[in-house]
Amino acid sequence: MVDQSIAGVAGKVAAEGDRSGRARLVILLLCVVLALSMFLSLTSGASDASAVGVIRDWLTGTVPRDAALGARDRLIVYDIRMPRVLLGVLIGAALAVSGAVMQGLFRNPLADPGLIGVSAGSSLGAVAVIVLGTTWLAPLTLALGSLALPLAAFCGGLAVTLVLYRVATRQGRTSVATMLLAGIALAALAMALTGILIFMADDRQLRDLTFWQLGSLGGATWPKIASIGPIIVLALAAMPFLARGLNALALGEATAGHLGIPVQRLKYTAIVGVSAAVGASVAVSGGIGFVGIVVPHLLRLLIGPDNRYLLPASALLGASMLLLADAVARVIVAPAELPIGIVTAIAGAPFFLWILLRKRGVVDL
Amino acid sequence: MIEARDVSVAIGGKRIVTNVDFAARPGEIAAIVGPNGSGKTTFLKALSGDLPFSGTVDINGRDLSVMKPVEAATARAVLPQATTLSFPFTVREVVRLGLVGGRSGVLPGEDDRLPERALARVDLDGFAGRFYQELSGGEQQRVQLARVLCQVWAPVLDGKPRYLFLDEPVSSLDIKHQLIIMNIARDFARRGGGVIAILHDLNLTAMYADRIFVMHRGRLAADGSPQEVLSDDLIEKVFDCRLRVGVLPAANMPFVLPQSAA
Repeated sequence: MVDQSIAGVAGKVAAEGDRSGRARLVILLLCVVLALSMFLSLTSGASDASAVGVIRDWLTGTVPRDAALGARDRLIVYDIRMPRVLLGVLIGAALAVSGAVMQGLFRNPLADPGLIGVSAGSSLGAVAVIVLGTTWLAPLTLALGSLALPLAAFCGGLAVTLVLYRVATRQGRTSVATMLLAGIALAALAMALTGILIFMADDRQLRDLTFWQLGSLGGATWPKIASIGPIIVLALAAMPFLARGLNALALGEATAGHLGIPVQRLKYTAIVGVSAAVGASVAVSGGIGFVGIVVPHLLRLLIGPDNRYLLPASALLGASMLLLADAVARVIVAPAELPIGIVTAIAGAPFFLWILLRKRGVVDL
Repeated sequence: MIEARDVSVAIGGKRIVTNVDFAARPGEIAAIVGPNGSGKTTFLKALSGDLPFSGTVDINGRDLSVMKPVEAATARAVLPQATTLSFPFTVREVVRLGLVGGRSGVLPGEDDRLPERALARVDLDGFAGRFYQELSGGEQQRVQLARVLCQVWAPVLDGKPRYLFLDEPVSSLDIKHQLIIMNIARDFARRGGGVIAILHDLNLTAMYADRIFVMHRGRLAADGSPQEVLSDDLIEKVFDCRLRVGVLPAANMPFVLPQSAA
């Protein structure tokens, strides 16, 4: 019913079976939704700072009547809320697009970086830098500075993805059961190694790690955005070039090759891109699950599986949904805040079960 | 012309295809026949560039092993035996995937209507909006053929012939659609393209093939025109079955041959 009303709004008569018109419209609507979510996120929070006032003053060049209050509001809006909103957008987009790309690559709607151990691999890399950064890995952290953490997370995620792909894919067919089970095994291994590192951590590191692992946008700062922003933007910018290839891959690897797609290059670009985007996200905000599976799945129901539209739409909806989840996380136990990973898991896990219950759209396990 | 010389394929250390020489000319349908497990599909996969092989394969005089995927996609389109789809694409979206890498050869701007035209040719008018995964096996096979036709819509492009590789294109089709599909292949050849088809029905093969290649235990057992190849001896040797060519059944036994199609 949603489908029909949206097609009706589009008004134009499209060829039967052609959903590209509707997809464009949905993308346009999602842009509006994201803008609203960003505005909502910027204007809401534990303090009464008026983001609208700050922005209006900045735009018009007005000096606020109460200088001290104005300075406080500016601080809250510029240095706390804005980086947090931007981080939410970056990470939401990165996770949702990574999920969609991974599903295309594994030819399976259940592939998700969080479910199949990629995030766990990234966590291992990140925890290694946090715990060993001042001792064994000191030369690395000194040389790379703020890039050490995302880079380590990237390497961890990449290692898991490569092993997983090797194990689960035979002659161009990915066995879902093998993929999920291998993912569980790799995640368990990564978590065990992470456990060893946690065992070695001191008290201060332990507290950092616990909050970080639950997933949160709370630590957002401009320097953090500067360190992971370029990685995520670069990875996201590469994804649209994969869209046509991923579409062809839905027919199988051999057929995609017959259609003129350089399949090997496509696969490695996708794996590196996903590992980079997930690694950067995990490095800053810990494990935020289910965004990568819920968002692309909802969108496929709405606009179909064409990656040319699915990937940008996933970026937009993923960003909006993460901002929304973050708003819930901040409001529901205010003035404290819930780790956002808990919110996405509470909403996402039942949704995942619902996908499993539905027959259509899920390939045989 | 597609020319394969001394092609051998081994999978996991086991020789599946041994020293096969093969040629498909533009304007002709080259049929590959043989019993199950005789290496037909493996040989076609080697020609398609899916499997590593020894020997040489030239397409229009160019060595297949140095062709880029997109170059090969412009020169030939491949119809596999069966294609499963991992996401709920509509029929139109599947057919449109034929245009993803190669060049259809129609005027720019006409590409948009090509899926509908291709679907009409395979007798699937009005199926564009259906979900591929909800179709029957025979319908899915025809959707895939429509996709393959989009990829090489013009049988000749830039003065060079193009080719259709069809692996059992009529295996799951009723007789009407078998004839429709084989007529599409013949039409493609008449307009200057080349067709390579793996077939099982010897009557259909005799009716449509210009040249038959018979495979037996991974080797080429015979090749030539239907008249030269289809003999009692060869059929007994290759198919291990005593059959007689051109013998009518008893008078009261009905039989239906594709050749009788009006």
